[in-house]
Amino acid sequence: MPVFNNIQALNYALMQEMEKDPSIVVFGEDVGYEGGVFRATVDLQAKFGVERCFDTPISESGIVGMAVGMAINGLKPVVELQFCGFTYPAFNQIISHVSRMRNRSRGRYTLPMVIRFPFGGGIRALEHHSESPEALFAHIPGLKVVAPSTPYDTKGLLLAALRDPDPVIFMEPKRIYRAFKQEVPEDDYVIEIGKANIVKEGEDLTIVTWGAMVRDTLKAVEKANEKGIHPEVIDLRTIAPMDRETIIKSVKKTGRILIVQEAVKSFSVASEIIALVNEKAFLHLEAPPARVTAPDIIVPLPRGEQFYMPHPDMIYEKINEVVNFLT
Amino acid sequence: MIREFKFPDIGEGVHEGILLKWHVKVGDRVKAGDPLAEVETDKVNAELPSPYSGKVSELLAAVGGTIHVGQVIIRIEDQSGKVSQEAASEPTVQVVEEENAGVVGALEASSEVIPSSAEGRKNSFTEKEIPQKVLATPVARKMAYDLGLDIRTIKGTGPGGRIMKEDIRRAGESNEKKPAAVAVQETPGTGILPSGSGKIERVPLSMMRKTIAKKMAQSKYTAPHATAMDEADVTELVQFRNKIKERFFADYGVSITFMPFIMKAVCLALKENEKLNSSYDEENQELLLKRFYHLGIAVDTEEGLMVPVIQDVDKKSIFELAKELEDLSGRARMKKLKIEELKGSTFSITNYGAVGSTFGVPVINYPEAAIIGIGKIEKKPVVREDKLVLRYMLPLSLSFDHRIVDGGDAGRFINTLKKYLSDPYKLTLL
Repeated sequence: MPVFNNIQALNYALMQEMEKDPSIVVFGEDVGYEGGVFRATVDLQAKFGVERCFDTPISESGIVGMAVGMAINGLKPVVELQFCGFTYPAFNQIISHVSRMRNRSRGRYTLPMVIRFPFGGGIRALEHHSESPEALFAHIPGLKVVAPSTPYDTKGLLLAALRDPDPVIFMEPKRIYRAFKQEVPEDDYVIEIGKANIVKEGEDLTIVTWGAMVRDTLKAVEKANEKGIHPEVIDLRTIAPMDRETIIKSVKKTGRILIVQEAVKSFSVASEIIALVNEKAFLHLEAPPARVTAPDIIVPLPRGEQFYMPHPDMIYEKINEVVNFLT
Repeated sequence: MIREFKFPDIGEGVHEGILLKWHVKVGDRVKAGDPLAEVETDKVNAELPSPYSGKVSELLAAVGGTIHVGQVIIRIEDQSGKVSQEAASEPTVQVVEEENAGVVGALEASSEVIPSSAEGRKNSFTEKEIPQKVLATPVARKMAYDLGLDIRTIKGTGPGGRIMKEDIRRAGESNEKKPAAVAVQETPGTGILPSGSGKIERVPLSMMRKTIAKKMAQSKYTAPHATAMDEADVTELVQFRNKIKERFFADYGVSITFMPFIMKAVCLALKENEKLNSSYDEENQELLLKRFYHLGIAVDTEEGLMVPVIQDVDKKSIFELAKELEDLSGRARMKKLKIEELKGSTFSITNYGAVGSTFGVPVINYPEAAIIGIGKIEKKPVVREDKLVLRYMLPLSLSFDHRIVDGGDAGRFINTLKKYLSDPYKLTLL
């Protein structure tokens, strides 16, 4: 079985599905000849030709707008926006058209398309390159938002996104593009969109996280295990629609919840999860819901980035705080 | 260029290791990320991935031998011919430019393989029965905690088995009726225990300690406590006692402490402030004014706090009180009190001055209305007629059940008490 890192798994899944489904077209800035800024689309142009994998002008609004037209007319566009911070020029297309074509046409048209982009910091990049804007997208009705954290899930979720009749925002945690590898089967499998993954079972506390933070959380949890604390770790994988059932079930078991996210704190996915837990598991709570997040500031430039990113030590401290809260 | 690879600092305080196996031999072509060797340390067995692509030109460590962090163990030759020291102490997880790596930022790259998954491929997923937490609101959990009850042992009668406040209250009461069953079963790692490291010794509570714990919790939970504090000028009382102390001991063999004087003063003050000598009948919403004056005196014994009761203080002389007090506290320390000698007090006095404390916030001996705490008598500078003088001051703390006694009542009671404590003649003649 091949062993791939996240970006290789992504490329592999695209390659496999493009072979199967001739309606898939891949485009974006530097996507064709170069194979993408992080090499997600490498070799696709050579293999499938310039009509199915091509470069576009630097115009995110144009890239997404073009995809809307293609999708209505029967193609399955997979567009790459180079960085999370470059998605903003495309917001009008995404909010005004991508998310609502099904509704606007009363179900006559759907937009089967995938908007891919790397998100998150920790790679010493420039301004606009390091944000975690998942809440911005998850807040828009009509969009599905996924963020896989492992090579296996990357392939499974990308295949699910490619086969979805509606638009899927596919967020890739770039810090862990090449940080580790995993067996990725050659055969066809999908990870259902909207289904979280219990990465580690435990009974003392529920930790919900996603993206690059899954790995940092597991580091903190390993330390906690040594102290006899056994948190349950849930990799959310899909931000919207959120797997409420898995979260609530786990919180009912543990009575405590901690959310770890790389995004800024206020008005975030963590906030939404806390609201959910209060609504659905209120009577089971033994401690106030807690979160480890970035502060409410713009991502600092490389020199200050380490002070911005949540660190395993911070997560470990918070785990202790939540577990030791007396009831 | 010939690149040297040094045994890297793999963290965890590892300084040396034993080379278990070479995965390459001289002349092999390796790619960045390929495993070079396997090393055993006292913590882990680690694979050392190659940071370079090229041809292995030299192996510098023998299988089975010890290698130290920083020691050059392999030389790898790439296209050019220079020797580089660059890789001095890079960690195992290295930031290396792989083939096809990106052009913006510094991506961490590693060949570490994480565990496999089979999700979505076969239907082996089985639902497990999940044990659930008890249902209770945060306020109910807090209430159970304050009462020293394990909420998991309480039966809920609310919707869906939710534990209601009433259930907790009832559990608290039934615990009182069966003192043998008071012991709260705490399993390790839950609730009260800190989860940190360190040895914990479990000591079962004595019956007496259990009773104290229960009574204190009951008092604090039931009666909303408020405390008033003041100081009484007892200079004249100190002088009075000094005059008679030795003579009484010589003549009667009884040592006269301040306590009998204080008891007398308390008794007189209670007569003038009857609400302080009462109890609250919650069920009938009535105040029970008691027309008898039995004072509980807190005694510190090895086993814990005991409160023997001196009956009808108003009908006894200070000398009689001194005798009885000596007898009761002596027998309390020897655990020779009869049950009835521990019952029926209408008001209590606790003397933490005896152990050197000044002010305290006493817990009411429930269901009494109040308790007075007596601090240590000390000579203090005070102002009398615009002059700074030294006087003996007695600190007083009155905790009262605020449901039936107000701050005004408490203040008036303390003022009366001060009046008598500062005037030994009134105290002895009235």
